[in-house]
Amino acid sequence: MKVRVCFHSYFRELTGTDQIDEEVRDGETLGELVKRLQQKFPKLKPMERSTLMAVGVEYQTHDYPLHEGDEVSLFPPVQGG
Amino acid sequence: MKRWLRIQSEPIDEAKLSKERSISNGIGAVIYFLGVVRATEGTETISAIDYEAFEKMAHHQFAKIFDEAERRWPIESIRLVHRIGNVPVNEPSLWVEVAAPHRAEAFAACQFVIDEMKKVVPIWKRPVK
Repeated sequence: MKVRVCFHSYFRELTGTDQIDEEVRDGETLGELVKRLQQKFPKLKPMERSTLMAVGVEYQTHDYPLHEGDEVSLFPPVQGG
Repeated sequence: MKRWLRIQSEPIDEAKLSKERSISNGIGAVIYFLGVVRATEGTETISAIDYEAFEKMAHHQFAKIFDEAERRWPIESIRLVHRIGNVPVNEPSLWVEVAAPHRAEAFAACQFVIDEMKKVVPIWKRPVK
């Protein structure tokens, strides 16, 4: 199944793209996907501990089970105000 | 509770926002906070901050913050404007207004909304030299 991954703020520069479609296996978790993305985009790896993850408009944790059509967003700590 | 939220690239028009204020007879406190772009970021001198938002999620996260503020305090209304794009030094990037029967809850709720925004609302900034 496929999910879309969107990168926000300077994560776009780190990955060189604003979004990609990724094939994920049934039962794959958000954490597993993020690990694979860190291999695909090594510049994300140093940001591992501060990376925020969302699916749709909600924050999610590493154990979130991905679903067909999920829109995953990865981004650095927020800085509004 | 009435709530009004804008994420916009246009400058924040304080006079218009004040003019549009509408409160009931039970309100004893209207407070507002203005977040303004400073000319320094760390040790660097800057001319502006460029703000970016993941708008769909930002709206949702603000709504959750407003829900929680409403649960905690007897607030009549919250209005909030966050500017995105290039915001020059001395200009406001954030305007938050809370109307409540008494000042304690208005101040507390306003502080809460801003603190929570800085934790969860997906907005980012880049200093512009």
